[in-house]
Amino acid sequence: MTNAFMVSGLTKSYQDFVLDHVSFTVPGGSIVGLIGENGAGKSTTINAALGLVQREDGVVSILGREELDGDIKEQIGVVFDGSNYPEILSPQKLNRVMKNIYRTWDERIYFGLLKQFSLPSDKQIKQFSKGMKMKLAISAAFSHHSRLLILDEATSGLDPVVREDILDMLLDFVQDEEHSILVSSHITSDLEKIADYIVFIHDGKVVFEKQKDELTERYGIIKCGAAQFDALDKSDIISYRKMDYEWQILVSDRERAQKKYPKALVVPAAIDEIMLLYVKGEK
Amino acid sequence: MKGVLMKDLYIAKSNIFVTIVSLVVLGFGLSFLLETSALLVLAPVASTTAAFISITSDAASKWNKNVITMPVSRGQIIGEKFLFYILLAALGMVTALIPCVVLACFGMDVTFHSLCRYGSIGISATLLAGGISLPCAYLFDPEKSQIVFMMSFMASTGIIAGLILLINFVFPVKENILLAFGIVLVISVIWFFISYGIAVKIYRKRDIA
Repeated sequence: MTNAFMVSGLTKSYQDFVLDHVSFTVPGGSIVGLIGENGAGKSTTINAALGLVQREDGVVSILGREELDGDIKEQIGVVFDGSNYPEILSPQKLNRVMKNIYRTWDERIYFGLLKQFSLPSDKQIKQFSKGMKMKLAISAAFSHHSRLLILDEATSGLDPVVREDILDMLLDFVQDEEHSILVSSHITSDLEKIADYIVFIHDGKVVFEKQKDELTERYGIIKCGAAQFDALDKSDIISYRKMDYEWQILVSDRERAQKKYPKALVVPAAIDEIMLLYVKGEK
Repeated sequence: MKGVLMKDLYIAKSNIFVTIVSLVVLGFGLSFLLETSALLVLAPVASTTAAFISITSDAASKWNKNVITMPVSRGQIIGEKFLFYILLAALGMVTALIPCVVLACFGMDVTFHSLCRYGSIGISATLLAGGISLPCAYLFDPEKSQIVFMMSFMASTGIIAGLILLINFVFPVKENILLAFGIVLVISVIWFFISYGIAVKIYRKRDIA
């Protein structure tokens, strides 16, 4: 399987933040969730990969090409938080604009999606709610036969019903094996539903890049008291947190942990719990 | 680039309409006080404010970020804005010519000489101002570039006055007014193209987030 998106050693320094040699891939036909707390470097990674900010080091390959030229951009649909279209335009006028920007613009798909989302085509975007703006941006990203979708916090701030609609669209999109999605979000429950792989960025560095099923089916949290914690083999611990009444210990194989420590309570770990233990926990 | 230009024309549409009506009304009104062709100085300057409105609108809607991900190069984005500026200036000139031509038909004192003189001053002022404010719009934040935009018209007036004084050292301007303002116009056109090159260089290196 070829990679639809690949970054290797991506580096960008700011006064108070460094994106430090970030590397990960989006295999063709898959959805990769980029997670991390606010300010972890998710947007910087996407911005540097898309050429919005100048990278200091690293290689970016999109759809097999290292140069992000017009041909490649035709095949990428990008959705940022907010619609990012001039608010004075209506979806109808936006169609005329986009038709003259994308050679592959397909107004049949565009108007079909507007209808599907119940978006009025003659109303100015400024009269739209945040959810409507987001749906419009996603409609536009889908309307030029994109092979790769990149969504940067596109579902944050939306109500669960709209988010569900959008997640369904994304799942439909990857039914075609030629299509891939990179979606950055701090709403990990969304990614648990749709992602095939999870890339966790913390403090400008990639902490892990794993299959989602490995995280949700194998990772676990041991919940125990101080005495049990002291008795644990420290090499089993990825990270741990001392809570008010218990210790929480992240382990990479919960079945093995349960067998090894039969008296301990070992529970499955949700992605946000894994993220929390990595960020807040001790090693 | 056509799509980006179309987007700017949509943004400027209502503003352009107000400018056109104002210029025509002002042209007829001005004819009772001054030479009608003096409107040619004001018209291109007034009409190009729509270019700046589009730049601030792009920044407010974060279109700048979005458009970079589309099949449009940074050079084309800047080129479109400079082209849009020229189109607006040309539209202002054409609009200002309407009252001039109508009044000339009714026997008012509108000569080809005065049209050329005021026209060249107007275009020179517009190109010099655009050459200052357009690259700055991509260098500074919207608040600072708004100040630069307003200052640029004052600066362009000063530059024209300075150039005329310099030309006066070479030959007497009063006897060769059209030639003197023609030279100023050529310098303004060259400056505008140099400024385009500078703006492209600035924008290619700029981080947009």
